[in-house]
Amino acid sequence: MTAPLITLAGASFSYPGAARPALTDVSLDVAPGDVLAVTGPAGAGTSTLLLVATGFAPRVVGGTLTGGRDIAARRCGVVFARPWTQLTGLCSTVRDEVAFGPASLGLPRAAVFAAAARALDQLRIAHLADRDPAQLSGGELQRVVVAAALALGPDVLALDDPAAELDPEAADALYDALPGLGAAGTAVLLATPDLQRAARVATRAVAMAEGRIAAQGRPADVLDGTDVALLARAAGCPPPYPVDITALLRRIAPQSSRGGRGTSDAPPAGSGPDTGVTAP
Amino acid sequence: MIGYVEGTSPLHRAHPYTTLAAAAALLMGAFAMTRPLEVWLLVAAALGYAAVGGVLRASARTAVLLSLPIWVVLFVLHGLLGAEPRVLAGPVALSAPGLARALVLGGRVTAIVVGFLTALAATSPHRLVEAMTADGAPFGRAFLLASTLTVLPRMRERAAQILEAQQCRGLRLGGSPFARLRALAPLALPLVLGALAEVDEQVLALDARGAASGARRTALDPPDDSAAQRVLRWTLLALVLAAYGWKFWRMRG
Repeated sequence: MTAPLITLAGASFSYPGAARPALTDVSLDVAPGDVLAVTGPAGAGTSTLLLVATGFAPRVVGGTLTGGRDIAARRCGVVFARPWTQLTGLCSTVRDEVAFGPASLGLPRAAVFAAAARALDQLRIAHLADRDPAQLSGGELQRVVVAAALALGPDVLALDDPAAELDPEAADALYDALPGLGAAGTAVLLATPDLQRAARVATRAVAMAEGRIAAQGRPADVLDGTDVALLARAAGCPPPYPVDITALLRRIAPQSSRGGRGTSDAPPAGSGPDTGVTAP
Repeated sequence: MIGYVEGTSPLHRAHPYTTLAAAAALLMGAFAMTRPLEVWLLVAAALGYAAVGGVLRASARTAVLLSLPIWVVLFVLHGLLGAEPRVLAGPVALSAPGLARALVLGGRVTAIVVGFLTALAATSPHRLVEAMTADGAPFGRAFLLASTLTVLPRMRERAAQILEAQQCRGLRLGGSPFARLRALAPLALPLVLGALAEVDEQVLALDARGAASGARRTALDPPDDSAAQRVLRWTLLALVLAAYGWKFWRMRG
């Protein structure tokens, strides 16, 4: 078994001056290649879990952490919902914006630009390289921000509701890139209220409530609030319910799912999302 | 016009240190000048500086708008209420030394504002950071300076958005000065709180991208710094020192 990149063991965290802890007794392992969906209602602690797991809390945001935390990851990247707050504001091209991270590490120029080019290719936005970040749409900008995080070669990439400001098409494009990152060995922590898209890409899921982990495991066991799962339940399917359309198609008509969107976008066998549903 | 304006003028193409050195020389020079003619020659130099930067009209217009209230206060304070002797300007007797003082102070303010606006308009924050990075300056220092150059346009853009949003929700502008003052609260509070929230996220984002790694940052595209520009910067420094020397020599005399 691969050694976890992040281990939380009974971790609790409070923000400075807060009366109540934002996280309580959280235990979690994150391994390379995991695409871990973290869901929960507003105030459940999903964003805080990402900050604690990646080491930014309390180091950057302050506060108090108790319990066990072991971060074996060499480097963690983080992406927030609003792309424009994550720009440096100092770069006049997308290439320079993406190259900012590697340049900050003092890598040679050639290595900096190579890392930027790789990250742009990974997010399929190489055609934006010479554009001014200030002139991009929200969807393009968010992919630039993800590319900027990837350019540093993080072992763990934390995405906090990354599609909050995006239109459905841009959100799909962003989520579709995640299984590829997982397949390349990057662990992805994805805090999102979007169960439908999370179910399509996650390999594991965590449901949070009031700062605690309410459930964790396979998406099929945790994300059973998706439209597809509710439909399957209403139709009398036995659990575990299919949580995305691909799993549902597989369940009801194994042959018809082969030409569908989910099938064509699915990562290679063995690295794809575990929906918990097998074809009969 | 307050903030960087894309352009290809000689000031835009110059090394950012040269552009900033010229603005600093105007600032320092303004305090070395003590007579109206000297100060207004400096204002002319500031306008020349703006012309070289291709932003003469915009800089001059904004400078007049910003300086006008100060000119009025200076005219009343020194021109009307200043010391004897007085000169007649139509029906009004104005203080001669007060007028000279107002011209000096008003000219200084104008030269400084024109210089500042032109430096803002012609200094690309990106090139400035690259220049400082190439010199080995810590990223924090470069970022602080560049952020100072970009903070005004960013705040103005955000204020316009908040103002539109508040007007959509029924905020009425205009009316008595008291009503205008009262309308500031729904603008200022979201402006400040929003800016603070954004700063939090930006600090995290920059940290995540290695800004605090402690490594010496790689300059990706450092601007050219020719010998002629270095000579020009030293010359400007020499001129400022000479102006202060002249000022103190005259004061002693």
